[in-house]
Amino acid sequence: MSSVLDVVLSSAFLAAVLRVATPYLLAAFGGLVAERAGISNIALEGQMLAAACTGALVAGYSGSVALGALGGLTVATLLGLLLAALRLELGADAIIAGIGLNLLASGATAYAVYTLLDDKGGTSGLRSGTLPTVPLPGIESVPVLGDALSGQNLVTWLAFLAAPFVAWLFYRTRFGFHLRAVGEKPDAAASVGIPVRRVQYAGLALSGALAGLAGVFLSMGHVSFFVRDMTAGRGFIALAAVFLGGLRPWGVFLAALGFGAAEALAVQLGTLDVPPQLVSTIPYAMTLLALALYAWRRKRRGTGEPVPASL
Amino acid sequence: MRHGKGAAAAAVAGMLVLSACGGSGGDDSGSTAASGKPRIELVINGGLGDKSFFDSAYEGLKKAQKDLGYDLKVVELGSDRTKWEPGFEDAAAAGDYDILAAGTFDVTDYVGDLAPQYPDKKFWVFDSAVDYSGKNGTCSNKCENVYSVTFKQNEGGYLAGFLAEKLVAGKALKGAESLDKVGVMGGVKIPVIEDFVVGFKAGFKAAGGKDSDVLVQYVGGDKPFGDPAKGKEISTALYGQGAALVWPVAGLSGLGTFESAVTAQRYTFGVDSDQYQTLTDQAQKNTVVTSLLKNVGNALYKAAQDDRKDSLKYGAVATVGLAEDAVGYVNDAHFAQLVPEKVRTELQAAADRVKSGSVTVPSAF
Repeated sequence: MSSVLDVVLSSAFLAAVLRVATPYLLAAFGGLVAERAGISNIALEGQMLAAACTGALVAGYSGSVALGALGGLTVATLLGLLLAALRLELGADAIIAGIGLNLLASGATAYAVYTLLDDKGGTSGLRSGTLPTVPLPGIESVPVLGDALSGQNLVTWLAFLAAPFVAWLFYRTRFGFHLRAVGEKPDAAASVGIPVRRVQYAGLALSGALAGLAGVFLSMGHVSFFVRDMTAGRGFIALAAVFLGGLRPWGVFLAALGFGAAEALAVQLGTLDVPPQLVSTIPYAMTLLALALYAWRRKRRGTGEPVPASL
Repeated sequence: MRHGKGAAAAAVAGMLVLSACGGSGGDDSGSTAASGKPRIELVINGGLGDKSFFDSAYEGLKKAQKDLGYDLKVVELGSDRTKWEPGFEDAAAAGDYDILAAGTFDVTDYVGDLAPQYPDKKFWVFDSAVDYSGKNGTCSNKCENVYSVTFKQNEGGYLAGFLAEKLVAGKALKGAESLDKVGVMGGVKIPVIEDFVVGFKAGFKAAGGKDSDVLVQYVGGDKPFGDPAKGKEISTALYGQGAALVWPVAGLSGLGTFESAVTAQRYTFGVDSDQYQTLTDQAQKNTVVTSLLKNVGNALYKAAQDDRKDSLKYGAVATVGLAEDAVGYVNDAHFAQLVPEKVRTELQAAADRVKSGSVTVPSAF
């Protein structure tokens, strides 16, 4: 068991946690913003996937990773707006529309890659590059922490900055106040003159952009290419983190980080004498446990309201 | 608003249809006309573009189409398992084929169910075998119209393990001379993947290595053969634990291994097809010592040849390995450059021993 402890205390493990948690954090904040705006964004998975694909393709063809990232973010933002439009203009059920968007993203990305590159697997034949890593000159020399923190991808830092950003947005800005009001009681919000639809569109656009950043990280940070369906369920795990975190920014932050840590732990423990089937269930078991815990807490509070009153 | 809701439903339905086309499209020849040519339909429970397994099968059948006068049609069922069984039923019921070819363990029960229903059609199963005994409820006609071919991937694994130990013991890998561990990254712990691993360990030991120096880890999760980000994390962990080289046996997840090998400045082996050729990044190519080939395409081409001569044995499983050139390793200039001549000779001798049968490689089956 001492080897487990060695693993957990190593800088390699900490670095892995930061990398693995990055897409969970960003997608979870995307899910949180949408949820608080009153529209469940179950299309996080599809938005990530579309952004991952667009990012790698645009970067590969233009030779600019910045353009690629921008392209990925744009597509994911548009998908967020599309979900909002389906819900608000056409009265579609957000869950059904979200599932539709996920399927669309899976099919359309595979189709786009095949059309452009004649490759049904992914864009690994395209040299699209990765977003820059950030060296931290001061921290590099700190034992364990220095190795883990320095040289992480730019997007990883953005993911960690997303927590204070969303907290500030929710509780310190007019827009955040409106967003929460709209999510909780749209009629009441409308009655005091809050432009409900405009706020919801903005919320879903931001939600899509955050999920898009998560997707861009996968194909232009974590690895340097897109592969069909490469999000592999990360959007849904992020969605679980939204609820486990009690729909609060710092709660969601801890939950997403927890999922990242669980997966990184599963990776690091993989070679020890623990059955791999058991190890690979860790993130999923944690998700189930988390949701059960969340339901239990809600029940104990005795309220059917999905949104907690405030932080 | 009433009208609006209808439109929304239509929009969503449209998306579903669109994506269904995107997910499972791909029909290569479309020529189902009675041209007199025997028609092969390759039904893929997954997709092309894996750069190894299914791509190899497709190449082999394309060659059969060109050289042997077959018609070829490809159906990709996508990665959603719930679509596989109905997909096979639809493909079989359409009847526009003479031979239905499908691969992997996952399809054996579908084919075992369908073959008795379409007794005048032929079925080929590659990389797994239907249950000819009929004990599990399939193959009610003893699957006498099914030809199965399985591969001795354990023999490929044996050579990989043998080579790996010779390389680390001989300190032949530049920059990794101080390391004596090696890693294998499997997709999931299923018999076919275990067969690679069991063979690898046997070869590693046969060359003088210790069992505990072989680190084995599985990708698992939602997309074990299609999650390169997780593949990269696992490979990074394996290199971090002192592996001089990592052999990914995990489809597209393995692409993450080549990236992590560049960062870690260590080595890899390729799997199934020549991955030195399929990779495009020179730094990644340079990490590939050799690729352990599992020549699914050749085996299917040979089946097509034999079937033309009516000599293909239906109702039974054929098992092919090193001796049949269905399994092997890439011996090219890059290999010669990285591997000392002495090791190359020893590896060839080990391959000959397996071929001649003087060494029997243990199997996971």
